[in-house]
Amino acid sequence: MKLVILGVGGMGAISLSKIIAQMSTTKGLSIRSSEIHGMAKKGGLVEVQMKIGEGKSGVVLQKSANFVLVLDEAYLGYGEAFLKDNRVGLIVLTNEDKRWVIDNLGDVRFSSALVLGRFVKYQDLFAKDDAIKALKEFKFFEKNTIAFERGLA
Amino acid sequence: MRLFLSGNEAIAFGLIEAGARFIVGYPGTPSSEVIPMAIEIKKKFGIRGYFDWSVNEKVAFEEATAASYAHIGSAVVMKQVGLNVAMDPFMNTAMTGAPSGLVVVVADDPGPHSSQTEQDSRFLAFFAKIPVLEPSTPKEAYEFSKRALHLSRDFEIPVMIRSTTRVSHSREDIEIGEIGGLEVNPHFVKDVDRFAATPHFRLILHKKLNEKIGRIKNLDWFSDFEKYFEGEILIVTSGVSFAYLYDIVKDNNLEDKIKLLRIRMPYPLDVEKLKGVIDKAGCKRVLVIEEGYPVLEMQLKTVMPSIDGRLSGLVSNEGELTIDKIGEILSKAGILNRKSCDFVAPPFKRPSLCPGCGHRSAFFVIKQVFRNSAIYTGDIGCYTLGLNLGAVDTVHCMGASVSFAFGFDKVFSLFGKSDQVVVATIGDSTFFHSGITALIDAVHNNSKLILVILDNSTVAMTGNQTTPANEYSQTGEKTKPIEIERVVEALGVEFLRVRDAYDIDGMIEDLKSAKDFVLNSKSPAVLIFRHPCVYSGEGLKNNVRFKDVYIDKELCTGCKVCVKQFECPSLIFDENKEKVFIDVVTCIKCGQCVKSCPFDAIKVEQ
Repeated sequence: MKLVILGVGGMGAISLSKIIAQMSTTKGLSIRSSEIHGMAKKGGLVEVQMKIGEGKSGVVLQKSANFVLVLDEAYLGYGEAFLKDNRVGLIVLTNEDKRWVIDNLGDVRFSSALVLGRFVKYQDLFAKDDAIKALKEFKFFEKNTIAFERGLA
Repeated sequence: MRLFLSGNEAIAFGLIEAGARFIVGYPGTPSSEVIPMAIEIKKKFGIRGYFDWSVNEKVAFEEATAASYAHIGSAVVMKQVGLNVAMDPFMNTAMTGAPSGLVVVVADDPGPHSSQTEQDSRFLAFFAKIPVLEPSTPKEAYEFSKRALHLSRDFEIPVMIRSTTRVSHSREDIEIGEIGGLEVNPHFVKDVDRFAATPHFRLILHKKLNEKIGRIKNLDWFSDFEKYFEGEILIVTSGVSFAYLYDIVKDNNLEDKIKLLRIRMPYPLDVEKLKGVIDKAGCKRVLVIEEGYPVLEMQLKTVMPSIDGRLSGLVSNEGELTIDKIGEILSKAGILNRKSCDFVAPPFKRPSLCPGCGHRSAFFVIKQVFRNSAIYTGDIGCYTLGLNLGAVDTVHCMGASVSFAFGFDKVFSLFGKSDQVVVATIGDSTFFHSGITALIDAVHNNSKLILVILDNSTVAMTGNQTTPANEYSQTGEKTKPIEIERVVEALGVEFLRVRDAYDIDGMIEDLKSAKDFVLNSKSPAVLIFRHPCVYSGEGLKNNVRFKDVYIDKELCTGCKVCVKQFECPSLIFDENKEKVFIDVVTCIKCGQCVKSCPFDAIKVEQ
């Protein structure tokens, strides 16, 4: 599986990739990722490309990703360019989602767990339990799980 | 133990597992994660060793060389431009050798993504006559690092690990071996003909170095070529380009079109052996695809003039060799049938100092006081972004803000334009790294530059590493903090002011006094504008925080002065309403923007 995560600094894109990596290793799948975050903390793009169970490099070409997880609507067009099949596999965190996360969980960073929920819902490599098991390995399990369930719903 | 590690983290594991117990360096993207991971491993596995930051790369290199002289497996870590700073010891350690092993970890930054140059450090390994290993993935970064230290120890020669951004910042699941259980016995066997060699003995050392490199050239594993696929077009490759090519072949079913020959050690390269393998393969065409400069290609071309690559114009001579670019090259060479590349680029967002950064307030004030009359020499770090506020005219290399200011001031003063003000800005860590020496020159040789040291007490740009001014080192151990003002005073600077960078009125007063001082004297004025980095947890926690910072819509005229001159990313101009609003998600409510509004429309609530 090839996937791409797009976010801005502080949104949890890197953490999200680590959770997905954890889910993969638990299942015995190889996992490779490539991060681009040179000036990310200056408000720029954080881009994580991932290959699960395939490849030598973690790099994903445009027009070849099975899933694209977009954590900031500004990068919607850029995210679409990575999709293998037009518009299939695009998972977007809307401004409405972000507001819900801030209002209910107090920190926009939990948005990444919401996106994880939506991702798990739309594919069949990982099940809900795989994600919950992986989330347990990370900080803020309870709040992450609330966000995750919201995404899964 | 199976871990999901970045290339840099994997290097730390490999080095320590192989026995490195002394690892030093200076932070710089994309190399900064090696040392923090080494410190984490030390804590987690309870091993003894010295893993920490040094003041600059030259010092780090010398410290690590001495540790190797004392029979401790050592490594030194830096980015490619850091190796330029360490060139002197680098060349010399190649000659004297490293008795207990010294691995030189250098992360190159093709692109460049966050550097001044795209230089290829493999050329510097070639130049110094030391072996260089080139991993293509994090897993290999781990394995090659272990090999590098063993090779270095066996031949008493420094060995370079050349990484690139994509290897350093990729992650992979890696099975890690056992760590610990190493007997360390520091001792130094005196040998002045070697360790204090005069020119006569240097000649002998050079001869020995040549012999070592001659033997390493055809060493098993290091000089072996990995062969993949059975096509008619042979591609000689190394590093991350190999991983890309492998994936392209697999994804496009090119197994019967391409044959890959992967090089692990680009220098010393046994070109005769390589030619033999290529001739035997009987391929109709040979390409060389490698990240960086044509290091393999130039060597191979001496025995195979017909090869294709950078020198023949097939591969571009600048820029990162991304997987997309390699795809294009293969299409150009008629191997891959790909439609014209319609790569979609992400929307461009100008990098900017963080909301609430003290540097911004300092630059705002500098620009208010000197307008366009001064020459502004800048330096390397977050504060390079003073560019956005029009208060940086030059950025060159570490510490050059001070020496550039000296050069400008000297020529203007000498040729009748002594009223030209030159303002240098440098960060605290960069001042320690390379600024002090230039300031010595300025004091000693009567330069009337104004130097503003922007002190946020951290190496912010590369991820908040510690500086010599901190009370604790990266390892958490208590250290002796070096006070910048005492250093400045000790150098004989007569004008020194220290101010919180949030004190806008105070900074204006300081800068005006500094201007008066330099125009009436022949000596530099130094100002330390200090404010903790708000990107660090501690800095943000202790920062001024108003209940609210808002725009009075009645008073806002939409003049954009705040947006343009204060340039905080949390100040956003609404094109429809023609008024400014504050982005509540990014604003940290520091209230520093208040003074930037000529109409007092930015308000704070206590």
